Amino acid sequence: MSIAINGISKHFGNFVALDNLQLDIASGELLALLGPSGCGKTTLLRIIAGLETPDQGQILFHGEDATDTHVRERQVGFVFQHYALFRHMTVFENVAFGLRVRPKKTRPSETEIKRKVHELLSLVQLDWLADRYPAQLSGGQRQRIALARALAVEPKVLLLDEPFGALDTKVRKELRRWLRRLHDEMHITSVFVTHDQEEALEVADRVVVMNKGKIEQIGTPEQVYDAPATPFVYQFLGDVNLFHSRVHDGWAEVGAARFAAEAGDSDKAVVYVRPHEIELSRVATEKAIAGVISHSRLLGATVRLEVDVKDAEVVEVELTRERYQEGGWQVGEAVWLNPREARVYPAA
Amino acid sequence: MAGGVNNAPRSIVTTETRPVRIVLTGIALAFIGLFLVVPLVSVFIEAFRQGWHLYLAALVEPDALSAIKLTLITAAIAVPLNLVFGLSAAWAIAKFEFRGKSMLITLIDLPFAVSPVVAGLIYVLLFGAQGWWGPWLADHDIKIIFAVPGIVLATVFVTFPFVARELIPLMEAQGSDEEQAAMVLGATGWQMFWRVTLPNIKWGLLYGVILANARAMGEFGAVSVVSGHVRGETNTIPLHVEILYNEYNFVAAFACASLLALLALVTLALKSWVEWRTERLAAEDRRHATEE
Repeated sequence: MSIAINGISKHFGNFVALDNLQLDIASGELLALLGPSGCGKTTLLRIIAGLETPDQGQILFHGEDATDTHVRERQVGFVFQHYALFRHMTVFENVAFGLRVRPKKTRPSETEIKRKVHELLSLVQLDWLADRYPAQLSGGQRQRIALARALAVEPKVLLLDEPFGALDTKVRKELRRWLRRLHDEMHITSVFVTHDQEEALEVADRVVVMNKGKIEQIGTPEQVYDAPATPFVYQFLGDVNLFHSRVHDGWAEVGAARFAAEAGDSDKAVVYVRPHEIELSRVATEKAIAGVISHSRLLGATVRLEVDVKDAEVVEVELTRERYQEGGWQVGEAVWLNPREARVYPAA
Repeated sequence: MAGGVNNAPRSIVTTETRPVRIVLTGIALAFIGLFLVVPLVSVFIEAFRQGWHLYLAALVEPDALSAIKLTLITAAIAVPLNLVFGLSAAWAIAKFEFRGKSMLITLIDLPFAVSPVVAGLIYVLLFGAQGWWGPWLADHDIKIIFAVPGIVLATVFVTFPFVARELIPLMEAQGSDEEQAAMVLGATGWQMFWRVTLPNIKWGLLYGVILANARAMGEFGAVSVVSGHVRGETNTIPLHVEILYNEYNFVAAFACASLLALLALVTLALKSWVEWRTERLAAEDRRHATEE
C-alpha cells in the first residue's frame, strides 16, 4: 500500500519536531528514515502509525485520507524500539494477541489461530520458543517475536522503530540481512527508523535523510551516498574532512589544491573530502596539500592516519592496511595529500 | 546487565566490624521485641486470661457482632471505592500529561499528612447538624453524621492514598509501550485494560488493596469523630474496643482487640507473600536478562 505524507507538521511545546514534511512512499518498498536523534524520524513513524496526531497536514493510505483514522483501524504493524512484548504472556500468546482481540465476527477459530501463530513463528525461525516468556528470550529473539506479532494481523504497512538499536553489533548485522530477505519475500510496504547510516544504506530501497524536522534528501542508497544534496547529508553518511576556503574564478582553493565550485567569486566555501578518498604521496605535486603525519591508528583492515596541515584542522586519511605497509608511512613524516574526490558547498 | 543486583558476599573491606554489626542488629531486635512483639502477645494473653468461654462470649455478644458487621460493611464499601479511584488516578498520572498533575499527586497524599481527627471533623463540618449542608440534609431526612454513611466517608478519606500510591510508581516504570502495542494490534480500550494493563499491575494492586483494607478496618480517629458511638449501631470494632476498655471490661476489650491483631497478622502474612511473589518474578526477569 502506498503512503503519502502531505505537509505534516508537529510541535511539542516550542520544539518543532516536524516541519511541513512531504513524502511519498511507494507500495512494497522498504524505506529508511535516517537522521540523528531529535530529528523527528520517530515522530514521523508514530504519526504514520496513528500513535501521534499531526498538528497540520494529511496522511493518505493508498490515496485515502487516514489522518483521523484511529490507530486500531489503520492496519499497520508496529515494532517498538524496545519491542513492548506483553511480559505476562507466552510467546505464543503474544503473537496470537492481534487475532484474539478481533471482534467475534472476524475472529478466527482456535485451530486457525494456532496454525497461523505457528506459521509466523516458523517464519521468524523461533517456533521452538512458543511456550517461553519474553523475559526468557535474548534481545534478537525478542525482536523477531515482536515482528511476528506485528505480522499476525496481516498489516498493510510495517513500521519499525530503531529495529536493531538495542542489539549488539553481530546480532544486528545478521538481523538486518534477515529483515531484508523477509521483505523481499513478502513485499509489504515497510518503513524503519534508524540513526545508523550503514544500516540504512545496507537494508533500504530508499533512504530519507532527516535533520531538525526537515527532509534533507530522499534517494536510493547510492544517490544519497554518492551525490549528497546538502553538507549535512554528506557529513552524516560517513566521516569527512572539511576545509574552509574562498572561491576564485570558479575554483575553491585549499593550499595548492583546487576544486571546481559553483559559488560566485570570493564567496566562502567549504570543501568536503572523505578520508578514504585521499591519496598520500612523498612527492610534491602541483595540486597537493602539504602536511605532516601526526598519528596512526590501526582499525582492523584499515589504518587511519592523522595529518597536520597548515591553516587547517587535522586531516584524517584512511588507507587499507596493505597500502599502508607498502607505503611504509611513518609518524612525523612530511607528506602531500591528493584528494581524489571532493564536494564543495557554499559556506553557511 | 541492567537491573542486576550484586549478590556476591560483601568483601571484608566494605563491611562493618563484628561488634558494630552485633550492636546494630541487637538494637533493632530489642526495639521490635519491646514495642511490637510484647504488646501483640499481651493482647492475646489478656483476651484468653479467663478462658475460651468468656473470649467467645465477648465476641458473639450483640453489640460486638454489630461492630464486626459494621466494620466489614465499611471495608466492603471503602476498599472497592479506593480500588476504582486508585486505579484511575494512577492511570491518569502514569500515562497522561495534564495540567495540575503534580497537584493531584500531592493531594493524594493529603490523608497521610492530615490527622485523622481533622479528617473526621471536616465531615462533621460539612454534613453535621450545624454544618454547611446539615439543614438541607435534615430537611430531606438524610443522616450522614452519627450514621453509617459518615463512617464510610471518613474511612474512604483515610484510606484514599493506599492503592494509588502503590500503583503510580509501578505504572510509571512500566510505561505505556505495551498498551500502545495492544492498540496497534487492534485491541479496544477494555481489551487493552483487561488483557495487558491489569495483568501487569495485579500484584501491586493486590498489595495496595491489602493495606487499604487493614487501614479501613482498623481506623479509629476519623471514624470516632463522625460515629457518635451509638452502641450496636455506629460502633466499629476499634470504637467498640475503646468503649469496653473504658468500662473496665478488659477481657471483652482484649477479645475484640485480638480480632484486629489477628487481622494485622493476616495482613502481614498476605503482604509478605505478595512481596515474595513480586520479588521472585523480578528475580526471574533479572536472571533471564543476565543469561543473554
